[in-house]
Amino acid sequence: MAEIIFNNVNKYFFLQHQKTLKELVQAIFKKQKTLERVHALKNLNFFIKKGEVVGIVGKNGAGKSTLLKLIAGVSAPTSGSLEIKEMVSPLIELGAGFHPELTGRENIFLNGVILGLKEDYIKKKFNEIVAFSEIARFIDTPIKYYSSGMYMRLAFSVAIFTDPKILLVDEILAVGDTAFQAKCLTKMNEFKDKGVTIIFVSHALETVRAFCTRVLYLKKGELMYDGEVNKGIDQYINEK
Amino acid sequence: MRNNMLKYWELIKHLTLREIKGRYKQSFLGFFWIILNPFFQMVIMSFVFSTIMKQQGLGIPYPIFLYAGLLPWLFFSNSLGSAMNSLTSNSSLVKKIYFPREILVLATLVAKVFDFILAFIIFAILMLVFKINLSWYMLLYIPIFFLQFFFTYGLSLLLSALNLFYRDVQYLFDLVLTLWFYLTPVIYATEFFPEKYRFIFKLNPMSVFINAYRQVLFKGDFPKWESLVVGLLISLGLYLVSHRLFKKMEGTFADVV
Ligand SMILES: Nc1ncnc2c1ncn2[C@@H]1O[C@H](COP(=O)(O)OP(=O)(O)O)[C@@H](O)[C@H]1O
Ligand SMILES: [Mg+2]
Repeated sequence: MAEIIFNNVNKYFFLQHQKTLKELVQAIFKKQKTLERVHALKNLNFFIKKGEVVGIVGKNGAGKSTLLKLIAGVSAPTSGSLEIKEMVSPLIELGAGFHPELTGRENIFLNGVILGLKEDYIKKKFNEIVAFSEIARFIDTPIKYYSSGMYMRLAFSVAIFTDPKILLVDEILAVGDTAFQAKCLTKMNEFKDKGVTIIFVSHALETVRAFCTRVLYLKKGELMYDGEVNKGIDQYINEK
Repeated sequence: MRNNMLKYWELIKHLTLREIKGRYKQSFLGFFWIILNPFFQMVIMSFVFSTIMKQQGLGIPYPIFLYAGLLPWLFFSNSLGSAMNSLTSNSSLVKKIYFPREILVLATLVAKVFDFILAFIIFAILMLVFKINLSWYMLLYIPIFFLQFFFTYGLSLLLSALNLFYRDVQYLFDLVLTLWFYLTPVIYATEFFPEKYRFIFKLNPMSVFINAYRQVLFKGDFPKWESLVVGLLISLGLYLVSHRLFKKMEGTFADVV
């Protein structure tokens, strides 16, 4: 059964040339351009089944992040339809909604409910979350005093406990130290074994080869290849 | 399912707490400032306007009369000021995670209600000091406040969305607010104006609410129902239009924020 269905999906961005009403009015009088269209995703048709681990490859600006945003529901397609049958918990941004003045503890609750967790559940899992983050000593310190590494640890730990059915990962492995990256990969493998659908955007092609079961190759918003991992990556490398 | 706000109640709660805690943690003084700022404004305005207003025969001391209008007005203008930035200042959330965006606007307003309640404490004390008669009618203050909140929410939805696309909407609206303040009976009473101009106040929901507050607090009477119904209808119409526009634009918020 397909969990994610893309049906003739197009996404346009409208670049506003004027950021204020004042500029807009002036531009209209001078008959200047006000909007410019960017065709970021072109007529995409595919579906993703439960438990698939899909790598998305493509150059910068190919539309990878946009694709994830549509799946996450934060951005709407301009035309076409998109069906998502399960709860998506995007990992695209770690620590979204963190407030620097609040303590680690308070931010765990805040970020947890933002990611769709119930307060009771967070209370129950609280010790595990803190243990995973390895920052128990600083849990009652405002996070503005955290190093960026500590911040990422805390954020990732909360995200890990969201128990999503669909996991979206956009280049997060580019941040943090190697030890923590390894830990993330281990966790993602656990998700994979549990049958979670994973959509994985990465420039680390060797990781994609090892980890994914299918590859989508995007080029300027078009789907150039959809299928077997090594073939897809090879085609991408050849065309680069 | 996605439109069920009850499902999001914990999120609303924590976003509201974030607003409140974040602000008070930054400075302990901030806490007192929230209470004292409206009070000082009232004191200064009382000095400036009390001589002119004495002739009006308000029946109660001018500072109390003024405060009863100033507090709800400040709630209104402060709420709009924050709500207009509620989407832009939460750009990282808007860009990355789906939840109904009106929650950001709502949480901002609820945090302002907290400020309002704090500032109201001083007002309540002043009413005791000036020996205003207590009556059961005063309880009607609460449903009128809900109505004002609803009106503010509708306007906030509209303005926060517009401000996302054109960032000077907030500055333009500041000008509107300044004018609006003078067209609302905060520092004066509607009776100050000749009968034939008073229809302006009937069409201005803020005026309707402030008059209703004064009616239930000081006159020991029901508010004027027909005015309140007009206020309710305007609020409802505004909400329906704003909510629709907001939902229509919501899918592109993440693209422009
Ligand atoms: N919010 C936006 N507004 C306007 N254009 C955008 C926006 N986001 C992305 N784009 C454009 O859409 C295209 C795809 O971008 P993106 O999905 O971020 O690519 P990738 O993640 O593959 O690097 C690019 O041309 C980019 O400039
Ligand atoms: Mg990207």
